[in-house]
This record gives sequence, C-alpha cells and structure tokens, in this order.
Amino acid sequence: MAALHIDHATIAYDTEPVLTGVTGRVHAGEVVALIGPNGAGKSTLIKAVLGLVPVVGGTVTVLGRAPAAARRDVAYVPQADSLDPQFPVSVAQVVLMGRYREVGWLRRPGRDDRRIAADALDQVGLADRARATFGTLSGGQRQRVLLARAIAQRPRLLLLDEPFNGVDLVSQDALLGALGELKRQGTAVLLSTHDLALAQHVSDHACLLNRRMFGFGPTGATLTPDLLRATYGNQALELHGDQIVVAHH
Amino acid sequence: MHATLVEPFSVPFMARALTELLLLAVLAGVVSTHVLTRRLGFVADAMTHTVFPGIVLGFLSAGVDGVLPGALAAAAVTAILLTLLTRSRRVTDDTALAVLLAAMFAVGVVLVSRRASYTADLTSFLFGRLLTVTAGQIAQTAVVAGLVLTTLAVLHKELLLRAFDPRAAAAMGYRIWLLDLVLNLAVALVVVAAAQSVGTILVIALLVVPAATGRLVSDRIAPITLAGVAVAALSGYLGLAISYRASVSHGLRLAGGATVVLTMVAVYLLTLLAAGLARALRSRRTSDAVA
Amino acid sequence: MRPSRRPITAFALAAALTAPLTACGDNATPQLAAAGDGKLAVVATTTQVADFARNIGGDKVTVTQILKPNIDPHEYEPTPADITAIGAAKVVVKSGLGLEKWLDETISAAGFKGTTVDASTGVKIRQGNGDEEQQDGDPHIWHNPRNAKIMVQNIGKAFAAADPADAAAYEKNLADYSAKLDKLDADIQAKIDKLPPDGRKLVTNHDAFGYYIDRYQLEFIGSIIPSFDTSAELSAKDIDDIVAKIKKTGTKAVLSESSLPPKTAEAIARQAGVQVVAGEDALYGDTLGPQGSAGDTYLKMEEHNTDVIVRALGG
Repeated sequence: MAALHIDHATIAYDTEPVLTGVTGRVHAGEVVALIGPNGAGKSTLIKAVLGLVPVVGGTVTVLGRAPAAARRDVAYVPQADSLDPQFPVSVAQVVLMGRYREVGWLRRPGRDDRRIAADALDQVGLADRARATFGTLSGGQRQRVLLARAIAQRPRLLLLDEPFNGVDLVSQDALLGALGELKRQGTAVLLSTHDLALAQHVSDHACLLNRRMFGFGPTGATLTPDLLRATYGNQALELHGDQIVVAHH
Repeated sequence: MHATLVEPFSVPFMARALTELLLLAVLAGVVSTHVLTRRLGFVADAMTHTVFPGIVLGFLSAGVDGVLPGALAAAAVTAILLTLLTRSRRVTDDTALAVLLAAMFAVGVVLVSRRASYTADLTSFLFGRLLTVTAGQIAQTAVVAGLVLTTLAVLHKELLLRAFDPRAAAAMGYRIWLLDLVLNLAVALVVVAAAQSVGTILVIALLVVPAATGRLVSDRIAPITLAGVAVAALSGYLGLAISYRASVSHGLRLAGGATVVLTMVAVYLLTLLAAGLARALRSRRTSDAVA
Repeated sequence: MRPSRRPITAFALAAALTAPLTACGDNATPQLAAAGDGKLAVVATTTQVADFARNIGGDKVTVTQILKPNIDPHEYEPTPADITAIGAAKVVVKSGLGLEKWLDETISAAGFKGTTVDASTGVKIRQGNGDEEQQDGDPHIWHNPRNAKIMVQNIGKAFAAADPADAAAYEKNLADYSAKLDKLDADIQAKIDKLPPDGRKLVTNHDAFGYYIDRYQLEFIGSIIPSFDTSAELSAKDIDDIVAKIKKTGTKAVLSESSLPPKTAEAIARQAGVQVVAGEDALYGDTLGPQGSAGDTYLKMEEHNTDVIVRALGG
C-alpha cells in the first residue's frame, strides 16, 4: 500500500479549484519532489495531503485513510522564515513540540519524549544548540530544527515545504543527510522545491505542477527539457544537455 | 519607609484593595504573556471599548447589578465574533477588530444618548473603584483567576505551539480557531474582572506591560511570565502605597488605579534602561577581551 | 531587540534603581479628625452640608469635607484620605436624595460604625424631572432657606445624640444659625418683591433652582441642560425649543452656573438675542464657591445668587 495515493485529484482553495489532474503515489522509503513555479499549487497539494484544504474531485488517500484521519502519522515541515525569529522559545522546546500529539491534551511531555526529541535534534546535527533561542540560529539551522521537530513525531509520511530555500551549504548537507536516513528507515517523503539540482540529487520521483500536473514519474524521466518547458511555460533553458536551468521569475 | 510600605495595609479597605490587585497581578501577568506571544494587544484594547455597550445595556436592564453581567456578555460576544471573523481568510485580525469596535461602540453611544441619564455607575467601570472593592468582588476575581489560570495551564503547550507555528499546529490536527477562542475568552474575562477595580481605561496596561517588561529580561516563556507577575504585583503594591501616602499625608489626589499603572510603566522604563546598560557593559567587556 | 542573557543582573539593576522611589518621609501628618483631641469627628459630603455642620458644631467638632467646591458630586471617586476619615468619624452628614450614590460603598469600605445623617429628612421633595435616577426627586433642596433650616435641625439633632456632653452648645449654635436663615429668607423675599410681577422669568443651566423658584415664585422657562445630571447633552431640537420659548416669553437673561462651562448658555443666549450672565457673576447651583469667592458660605451663596438674578431681571 502506498503511503500517499493521489488519484485524479482536483484541489480547491476555499471554493476555487486551483490544482487539477494530480495522480501519483509515494511509497515508504521513497522521496518525491514537487516541482513547479511560484503559485503552481505545490503548497496547496501539501495542504490537501494534510486535510487542510478541500479535495473537490478525485481522491487523496493517506496511509489508506482520508487525510484528516491520518494526521497522527504525518509530519509537516514549514519554511523556517515563516516563523517569528523573536519568539521566546528554545531549540529544544521547538523540537519537543513534535511530541505534543503523542503526549495528548492533559499530560506534559515525559522523559521518553525528551529523549526522542534530543535524538531527533542529533539527527540534524544540532544537539549542541539545544538550549539556544530558536531565533538566534541561522536560517538553515532553523530549517534543520523544524525537520528535527517533524522527526520527533516519528511519522510515516513527511511533508516539507521548500526546505532548501535560502539554506546554506552546511545546513543543506545536514538536511540531505537526515532525509537520507529517514528514507532508509522507510519514511515516505514529499517535498516541494524549485532547486532542480537538489531534486535530482535527493528524490526518486518528481511531480511537475503548474495549476495542473504535467508529469509524474522517476526523476530522470520526468525532469526533461520538454516537460519542464511545458510546466514552466517556456522559461526553461537548456544547458549542456543534462543540466537544466530554469529562469526564476 | 515603614509608614509608606507597611502601615497603609493595616487598614482594612487598603488590605482589600491590595488583595484584589495581587490577584489581578497573577491573572493579568500570566495572560499578558499570551497577549505578547500572540500579539493580542490590539484585541485586548478593543475589548476594553466593546464592553461599553454591554455595560450600558446591563445598566439599563438591571441597574447597577446589571453592569457586570452586561460587560461579561459584551466581552464574550466580542471574543466569539472576533474568532469567527478571523477564521475566514479574507478578513484580517485588524480589519475584523476595527469593524467590530466601531459597531459596538456606536451601539453603546446610541443607547446612552437615548436617555439623558445618570452616568456615575458607568464611569466607575471606566475608571474603576479600587478602594471600595468588597470581599465579594475579591472572591469573584479569585474565581475568574482560578478558572482562567487553570485553563491556560492545561492548554499551555498547545497554546505555545499555536502561537509559535500555527501552520504546524493545524497540520498536527489542532483546531486553531478553538484555541484562539479560548484565549480570546480568557482575555475577555480578564478585561471584565480587572475593569471593576482599575477601570477599562487602565486594563490594557495590565495586559501589556507585565510581559513587555519580562521580555526585556528573558527570552523564555516561563521567566517572562514570572517577571510579568512580579512586575504587576510590585506595581500594585507600590502604586497603592504611594497613592495612600499622597492622599493621607499630603492631600494629593492620585487615583489608585492610575498610580498603579504609572508605577508599572516606570518599572518597565527602568528595566529597559537597566537592560540597555547591561547590554552595553557586556559588549564593552567583549570588545575589551578581543582587544 | 535582543534581551539580556543575564536576566538576574538586569533585574537587580532595575530593582536598585526603583528603591529610591519608596523612600518617603516618615512625617505622616494626617489631616484627619483625630480621636484624641476631644472634638466630635464629623465627615460631611457636600460643601453645603459641610458649611452647615461647621456652623452647628462650632468648636466642638472637627469637620472633614469630602467634596471640594466646583466638584461634581455625582461622579466622585473617594480617596484614601476620604475613606480613612470616614472610618475614624462618629457622624457622617450627607445631603441625600441620590446626590452621593458613591457614599454607601465608601461607608462600608471604611468600616464606619457611627451615625449617618441624611440632611434631607423631613424636607418636602419636589418631583424629579422624570428620569429614573431622579426617582428620589430633585436633590437641590438647600436653595430654599426654609429647607436649610430643616437640614441644620437634622444635623444638630445628630450631633447632640452622638455627643450628649456638648448638646447645649449644639442647640445654641442651631438656634443662632436658624435665626440667620430666617433673616436670609426675609431678605431674599424683599429683593424679589421689588421685581415686577411679570418680570420674573428665569433660564439657567440645569434644573438646580427648582426649590428657590418655588419658594420665591419666580417663573422657570427652561434649563440649558434638561436633566439634573450635569453631563447630559442637549440635542439640536432641545436648543431650538428653549430659544423659541425665550423669544416667546420675553425672557431677558440666561444665567449660567459657576460649576458648569458657560459656553452652552452663551450659545443659546446668542441665538435668542438675550443677555448671558456667566463666569464671575455666575450662579452657585451645585456647590459653594471656593474660599474667598462670593459664595464660599451658604448664606453668602444665597445672597449672591439672589443679587445676580435680581440684577439680570432688571431690578
């Protein structure tokens, strides 16, 4: 059974359909990259998988259930720069947040929860910054902390929204390393990015989106000049045949 | 100094006023941290205005006894309407608030202007009646404090997550609007509870200054909250003492509630100064070490 | 803004800087009626009843007056000194009829255990203006000297009951002052009598002079502020009504009270083309005037008001 199964889905934002014709699967241990320009609907698709926006046509099945029912086993990593850097919270506190659902409403996180959180932080290579204020870390480090928080949830499906945006090389390496480890452990990963080189490096499959799906399949076969040009609307340029560059707008 | 700091509170009405203020200090101090992290300062301020039609309606229906229930109802309605309005993505917090504020205040004005009526009991809600607070009112405040503080303690981690990262909270399945409603209602309760003693005009200070001061000295929730409570309590104590001494020994009229607020602001400014000095000293030490 | 990493240091600094604020002189000189000096401790609310209390009590009492001249009695917030004074007093004198709504709360907060005198007991009350708050009637009873006589009688009786040892003194003071009130009444009557019978029409700020008008049979055209509450506002229609009445009845003057801003009165007088008597020459409606003014005692206040009214009405 696929961790995520999308079948001819039409996703709406409020009541407007914004994304149509999405079909594809993500299996355990696989990384799928969502590729497309700004406004293509990548974030919307992720929100649909989380059950936060309506699926008005077709189906989105998460771990065999409806999206809202599967949240326990799904973790989401937002972009770090969407968060207030002045917020008075420590790195350790942020990672511990990943345990909240498991802890439940009335209880407080226990020693096990703290150990899981500490391990997660270690996996992204920031164990030494546990006591630091979240906002004092660099953008890339903050992104790693958010990934650690998701790892602490011990999800079967992991969703990341543009995780490599504005991230320095050291943090990028750490993120890739952690994702690789998650892959090996059998976590299914869906991440959006417009960094095609990274997408080719880290993902098994790619999904091309621009208000509709333009392609879904193994990365090598999908990230072709023709499909990319179609997706990006003639803004793709070809360089050296195997390296593809897209003009950013 | 004993005459200023201890003696006033040997008098029963001063002891009662102090008890009420200390209760409010704990309550408002804690809620203030939430107001800080969720940036609800404008919401809290608006609520001090939207209680006005509730007070008027309550007074018109049941005289003085109707003022408190009226205020509570208005505050609760504000909290609910606000939560509902901001759930819709089209309306931002500020817009919703401005609309609500204007509408409710206008209702209040219309109601008042229809009768050329007696406003003393209404102005007591605006300015508070600190010195004539009764044991019954203290008990009321204690109940409200117990209710609000327990609720906020139980929901502490969820409220923290929602404040820090609402998207992740939603992704984890938490109903953001429900958490927001609870917090808005908590703020509403504090506004009404505190308004009786220090008046609606000064309530906003109680909800904003404590955590703002705490933020100057710490970047962790727990110390900020503790500092906020301490600042509010200290200001309540000092403000009352000063107001008493000024009136009894020097014939100077310093309204109790206002003196407390001014004291709190003074503490904030001094803390700001102290924090700035501490920072300057530290960077001097660092550059000395480097050189 | 990056906060300090040494919370404790910053806090200590703040505390150190705050400490001087608490350094106050220990010379607590309470301006309260002390129990030890043998005088009866009295608290009086309004300027008028405080004046009465001083006159009836003489040197046997210490009177603490709560309201200062020109302070609106309706919305008063008591100070710590007020509450302490009430707590220490044996007698509290109030004017009554809903004028001091804040008094009951204050008395219970103070833990007052003495006697409260309602000076309005036994006075024949005029109907209020129909407002709910005036269900007790028009509270400005003192402007009729005959009512003032009843008020001081109530006060004298209470003083004698609380301090029987000095009852004789109180009775003498009462008799003396009542005689003065009788003379005042006669003086005012004489001055009013000099006015022509159809030249006794009065427009003033708010309905404070009902009892005076009834006693001396003047004619009341309308007040600038329709209710007894000083903060009630006039609508445009109200203003037009009054201006029309003024013109129709041939009123010669609009008289403003000292404790209210005269601008509203002036506006109407301008529209109606009549004279405005305001400011220094204003009437004392709600309170006595400040020390040194023309109305700083009850007797002077009533004489002054009469002179102003008579002069404005062309007498």
